[in-house]
Amino acid sequence: MAEAATGARVGAGAKRPRRRLPRFALAIPAWLLFLFFFLIPILYIFRYSFGYKPDIFRTIAIDRFTFDRYTESFSDTFRDVFSGTLRISITGTILCLLIAFPFAYWLAVKVPSRWRGLLLGLTIVPFWTNFLVRTLGWLILLQPNGWLSGVMQDLHLIGAPLDVLDTREAVQLGVVYNYLPLMIFPLFVALDRLDPALREASKDLGANRIRTFRQVTLPLAMPGVIAGLLLVFIPLTGDYITAAVLGGAKGNMVGALVASQFNTAQNWALGSAMAVILILMILASLAVFSLIGFGIRALVRRSRRVEIAMEPA
Amino acid sequence: MSAATTTVVRRPRRDWVNGLLSLWGILVFAFLFLPIVMIVIYSFNDGRALVVWREFGFHAYTSALSNRTITNSVFTSIRAAGGAAVIATIVGSLAGIALARRPGKWTIAFLAFVFLVLVTPEIVDAISLLIWYVRIGGPFGPGNQIFNYGLLRLFIGHALFASAVVTLIVRARLAGLDESLEEASADLYANATQTFRKITLPLMMPAVLAGALLAFSLSLDNTIISSFVSTANASPWPVYVFSSLRSILRPEIAAMSTLVLLLTLFALAMVAIVLRRGGASGEEAAAMIAGVEASSGSA
Repeated sequence: MAEAATGARVGAGAKRPRRRLPRFALAIPAWLLFLFFFLIPILYIFRYSFGYKPDIFRTIAIDRFTFDRYTESFSDTFRDVFSGTLRISITGTILCLLIAFPFAYWLAVKVPSRWRGLLLGLTIVPFWTNFLVRTLGWLILLQPNGWLSGVMQDLHLIGAPLDVLDTREAVQLGVVYNYLPLMIFPLFVALDRLDPALREASKDLGANRIRTFRQVTLPLAMPGVIAGLLLVFIPLTGDYITAAVLGGAKGNMVGALVASQFNTAQNWALGSAMAVILILMILASLAVFSLIGFGIRALVRRSRRVEIAMEPA
Repeated sequence: MSAATTTVVRRPRRDWVNGLLSLWGILVFAFLFLPIVMIVIYSFNDGRALVVWREFGFHAYTSALSNRTITNSVFTSIRAAGGAAVIATIVGSLAGIALARRPGKWTIAFLAFVFLVLVTPEIVDAISLLIWYVRIGGPFGPGNQIFNYGLLRLFIGHALFASAVVTLIVRARLAGLDESLEEASADLYANATQTFRKITLPLMMPAVLAGALLAFSLSLDNTIISSFVSTANASPWPVYVFSSLRSILRPEIAAMSTLVLLLTLFALAMVAIVLRRGGASGEEAAAMIAGVEASSGSA
C-alpha cells in the first residue's frame, strides 16, 4: 500500500517536466467562452445604459454619457412595474418554498426507497417540458369557458365564469407553477442527504416531532433552502414569458419592459438601463434577505444558548 | 421491547401526519402535471383555436407536420440543440477535468464565474448577447457567407448556460473517482494521452453523455435567448410558439409540442439509462438530470 503511494508520487514526479501547461489550461475554452460571450457582453449593458437613442432608425448611440435613461426608468408607470415585479417574485418564491418543502420532505423521507427514483423522475418531467408550452397549458385551463371554470361553477365555488386570465393572480399562479421544480430539487437533495439516525437520536433524547423538525431537520436542510430560494427568486424576477401568456396588460414584469424596449421600441439604451436596474434590484433584495437570514440565525442561536444553559441547572 | 411499545403508541399520530404528507405529495403531482395533460389533450382538438375545444381528431398533427414554417422551426431547434450540445460538452468536460484534477488558486475564481453564469436572469444574457452579436458582427452578422449566422448565434447563446452545467456534472463525477487508477496507469508506463483515453475518458463518459443530452434538452427548451438573437432564417420552435401568441394559437402548436415533449422524454430516458449503467442509483441519476445536485453543491 505504502509502496504504491510512493510509486505514484515518483511517477507523477517523473512526468512533471512534460507538463508545462498551467493548471487551468484545460479550462481555457470555458474561460474564453464565459469571458467573450458572458462577461464582456454584460459589461456592454452597463455601457449602453448611459447612451441614448439618436433617431428613429438607429437603436443606440454612446458618444455622449448621460444618466437620462435612469431618470426615465424611474417614472411612475415604470416604478409601478418594478414594485409589482418584486411583489410577484417575493410572493412566488415564498409560495414555492411552502409548497415544495412538505413535498420534498415526503419524497426524500416518507416515500419507500424503491418508488423514490421513479417519483423523482416524474417531478423532472414538467421541468423538462417547454416552459412556454406549460404556460400555454394554464392558458387552456383558465379559460372562462373552459372545463375547470365549468366544474367550479357546478360545485358553486364561483358564481360566474372563471375570470383570472390577464390578471396579476394568473401571473402569480403561473410563476409558482413554472419555478416550483427549481425549489423541489435542491430541497430534495438536502433532505435526502440527511441521515435518518439524526432524527432518531433527537427522538431518543426526548424531543417531540415538532422540536426535532425545528432543531434537527430544518437547520440541516438550510443549504437546500437557500439554494432553492436563489434558484427560484433570481430567474423568476427576470421572467417575462409567464406574464406575457397569462398576464395580458396587467401582468407587466420588468423583463417584459426590457424586452419591449429591445424588440418593439428599439430603444436599447433605455432597455439596458432597465436591465441594470433589474440586476441591482435582484442584488439588493438578496442583500436584504441575507441580512434578515443572519438576523434570524443570530436570534435563534441566542435563544438556544439560553435553553442549553438552563437545562443542566 | 420498550422500542416496540413506543412505536405502537406513536403509530396513530404518525399515520395522521404521514397521510397528510402523502395527500400533499399527490396534490403537488396533480398540480405539476395538470397543464401538461391539458396540452396533450388539446393536441387532439379538431377546432380552429387551441383554447376552444370542438371535437376529437388528429387534424392538428397532420397539419402541423405539413406546415413548412412549423417543421422548419423544429429542425432549426434540433440543429441549434445539436451544435450547442457539442460546444457545451467539449468546453464543459475540459473545464470539469481541470477543476477535478488540476485544482489550484484559479478554482475559486472560475467556480464563481460558473455560478454567476448559472444565476444570471436569462433576459440579461439575452440582451447582452444581442448587443454583443450586433456589435462584433463578423461571423455573427449578416456578413457571414459560409455559415448560417443565426444558427451560430444560437449555438453560442445556448451553449453558455449548458457549459456551466456540464462543467459541474463532469467535475462532480471525477471528484467522486479515485485518482489512483490514473496514477496506476502512469506507473505502468502509459503516457498522458494513453491514460486519458484508456482510463479517464471511460470513467467520465456517463457524466459527459448526461451533460451532452442535458445541454441538448436545455437548448430545445430555450425561449428567451432565442427570441432575442435568432434571425428570420434560423428561428427555433419556441420562438414560433411565442410569436403565434400575438396572432392566434392553433391546435397545431399543442400537437407539435406533444411531439417535442416525446423527443425530450426519450432523450431524458437515455440519460437515465446511461447514468444507471455508469453506476448511479435511480435517485442520483434523476438528481443529475435535474442538474441541481451539482449546482446546489457549489452554492
